[in-house]
Amino acid sequence: MTKGLAIVMFSGEAEKFIPLAVLTQTAANLGVPVKIFVTGYALAYFTKNKPEPRFTKEFEDMAPKLLEGMQRMQLPSWYDIIKEAKETGDVKIYACSLMAEVMGVKKEDLDPIVDDMVGAAFFMTETAEYQVIFI
Amino acid sequence: MSEKIVVDARGTACPGPITKLVRAYRQAKNGDIIEVLATDPGFKPDVQAWVKRTGNELVELTEENGVIKAVIKVTAKK
Repeated sequence: MTKGLAIVMFSGEAEKFIPLAVLTQTAANLGVPVKIFVTGYALAYFTKNKPEPRFTKEFEDMAPKLLEGMQRMQLPSWYDIIKEAKETGDVKIYACSLMAEVMGVKKEDLDPIVDDMVGAAFFMTETAEYQVIFI
Repeated sequence: MSEKIVVDARGTACPGPITKLVRAYRQAKNGDIIEVLATDPGFKPDVQAWVKRTGNELVELTEENGVIKAVIKVTAKK
């Protein structure tokens, strides 16, 4: 079993938050530590003024079925899943300091589920022996 | 005193059943029995993997009318 899971969350499309949530929750359930590096288009969704989630244009026609299925399965929102995973296991969320500066996001603008704002060197060192997933 | 805890995860999808099991497991103590009911088709291999990973004991794993029942004996709490 891997020593931990490093997830680089770059995408901002609504559907990409499903694997983020499911992988994080699963790792927490199995006692695998998780560190998430939030960068790129994902960063905005980890701030206090989250934008409305948008689905990928090419798969827009699938979105209604996806949403309906998720509702039928009573799947909690990605945010609630991550919050629960943080209570269950060792899950840390880091905001990328470069992207934050680029987008004008300050530390105090970040959602409370974010643990800290860090640089890539910190994240890479912390997760050196982890399995890395890029979303 | 050992307790029997029943977790009804029917209707929830992956990772719901394992999440509900873990929630119950956090409150449990060694010797307790956790019985999980689930309809997620992925639950059978998932619960086996969870038991293997955490070192608890899978006493029973059955399926009837689309409902999977896993009976776990809590043995790995520190």
